Amino acid sequence: MDRPTHTELRLADRLRIERAVWTLNAHLDNLPNRAKRARRRETRANLYAAAAEVGAAEAIRGLGDLRRLAAEYRTAEYGETGPQPSYSGAVVGLLLVQVAASAFMQGGTHAFVAGLLAAAPDATGTFQWSGIPYLTAPVTVTAVDGTQRTAGGAFTSLFYLLWLAAFVLGGRLWRLLPTWRRWRAGDAAAPAPGV
Amino acid sequence: MNQIHDPQLLKGVLSPLLLWLLAERESYGYELVQRLRQIGLTGIADGTVYPALARLEREGRVSTRLVASRSGPARKYYRPTDDGYAALTESTGNWLSLTEIVSPVLARPVPPQPAPPAEEN
Repeated sequence: MDRPTHTELRLADRLRIERAVWTLNAHLDNLPNRAKRARRRETRANLYAAAAEVGAAEAIRGLGDLRRLAAEYRTAEYGETGPQPSYSGAVVGLLLVQVAASAFMQGGTHAFVAGLLAAAPDATGTFQWSGIPYLTAPVTVTAVDGTQRTAGGAFTSLFYLLWLAAFVLGGRLWRLLPTWRRWRAGDAAAPAPGV
Repeated sequence: MNQIHDPQLLKGVLSPLLLWLLAERESYGYELVQRLRQIGLTGIADGTVYPALARLEREGRVSTRLVASRSGPARKYYRPTDDGYAALTESTGNWLSLTEIVSPVLARPVPPQPAPPAEEN
């Protein structure tokens, strides 16, 4: 008996297969787009072949838990012990940089005020610390009879632009690390870094 | 034929098995699942084989090509690379030497109870 062809699969079965393919794709969210596309294509082709033999429902069941399958694919992509991408890790990293930069600015402002008080304890007037050129606005210290008020020091748009760019760039670059390690270990069959 | 139920045991031999089957004939993912079932691994899940193939591809042990299919989307066919053949030779040797040691032991009847320590004799 001839196997049913692509077009002979019922619409409902094709929709079930597409749902499984895209559910798997959703769990592969940390894989590079190239790898995700390849997995979608291959999974779809295998499901069509399996559905022709055992039906769409059984073919999909054969994949097992799609979340687990996606985890296996991630391990295949990055290795057992290699770092794996994590959006929550990226968010924590972004926040840590923000906190560290804020702490640095606060420390700088305190140091500037402390220096000012050391030089002239009863200083009166407006004093300015330039902050970090291009990355923060200047900090203005208004001193009146020994009391000080500070204003400014906000991060500039350039800071936030660099902040995001560094994470986007870093997020892409570290994905080359496993390939780079294999290449350095002399695995001639591994594609060279940058591929 | 007996099934391998221990996933860890299967994981250790799946790569050389896949490489051997691919050395015999280029195949796509689901076809390999069927071939594994034909040789006796009737309980093997599709979801176990596909990531193993992805790992072999990532390690440069298999190369792939897309072949149009009359019964669905184009299929990704795998075949071993030179590295794949080398890995297959190595792991076959390892496996045979391991089974040479392990099989005679496990083939013996299981003793009904452990003998007392040598010091007590």
